[in-house]
Amino acid sequence: MAWTWFHKYGSPPHFYRLAGRWLPWLSWGAALAIAAGLIGGLGLAPPDYQQGDGFRIIYVHAPAAWLSTMVYTVMAVSAAVGLIWRMGVAHAVSASCAPIGASFTAVALLTGMLWGRPMWGTYWEWDPRLTSELLLLFLYLGYLGLRNAIDDTARADRACAVLAIVGVVNVPIIHYSVIWWNSLHQAPSVMKFGRASMPASMLVPLLLMLLGFTLCFGALLLVRARGEVLRRERNARWIAEVLA
Amino acid sequence: MSHWLQMGGYARFLWPSYGITFLVVALNIWWARRSAREARALARRRIANAASRSTT
Repeated sequence: MAWTWFHKYGSPPHFYRLAGRWLPWLSWGAALAIAAGLIGGLGLAPPDYQQGDGFRIIYVHAPAAWLSTMVYTVMAVSAAVGLIWRMGVAHAVSASCAPIGASFTAVALLTGMLWGRPMWGTYWEWDPRLTSELLLLFLYLGYLGLRNAIDDTARADRACAVLAIVGVVNVPIIHYSVIWWNSLHQAPSVMKFGRASMPASMLVPLLLMLLGFTLCFGALLLVRARGEVLRRERNARWIAEVLA
Repeated sequence: MSHWLQMGGYARFLWPSYGITFLVVALNIWWARRSAREARALARRRIANAASRSTT
């Protein structure tokens, strides 16, 4: 039956063991990709013809901004899976996403401000992209606050899942904000159809940083979700086995 | 080296960006590991409590 894999990965002991096996691969992959991306981005890539060396902020800003919306999507999809199939592991994954996503959303906003000052002449503007990204930070903070406010885990899971799923409408708004409205922010240069608007010497380090930060998120998520699964399981024999 | 550190005059915007980003990455690693460590300690306490209840 095609559904057996779904229930197999949804079983806490299987998830816990599998996550433990994946962890070193994701961690080392992240470290290597980020190290290579930094050498390429800060050393080998040529200065931009308009922004000079200031453009190099892209190598931290774009990965943080990518994570901010990608992590939210993972959080909402796993919340929906948890809600529909009553799968505890999916709720544990969703809960583990929130603090990671919130922190990288803050990084995206702060590095964007530091990039905006020299290029646009202002740290902040109530621009569609900036405002929708700030709203994303508030959605994460709302999710974390809601979870902290409800002591019963099952009720917290359901309430947070609804918030995460409703809030996911903001993700396409963030992505398309620079296309739908007049924005100070530039249009996408990598995540679009057709060729990326950058030479390879600038693009390859950016792709490495995007890959590295995605793997880093994967590793952080697995560490957190393993802990979250342990917290939710009581008196299960497999816990004694994995902790022995 | 110092020429590279100046980043064409953008040093005071560029280096804080990198500093904030990697500070948050480091904090995330620390927070995640602390959270997992606390969960393992909690699970061990529960197992010990269950064992002591079943023997008495």
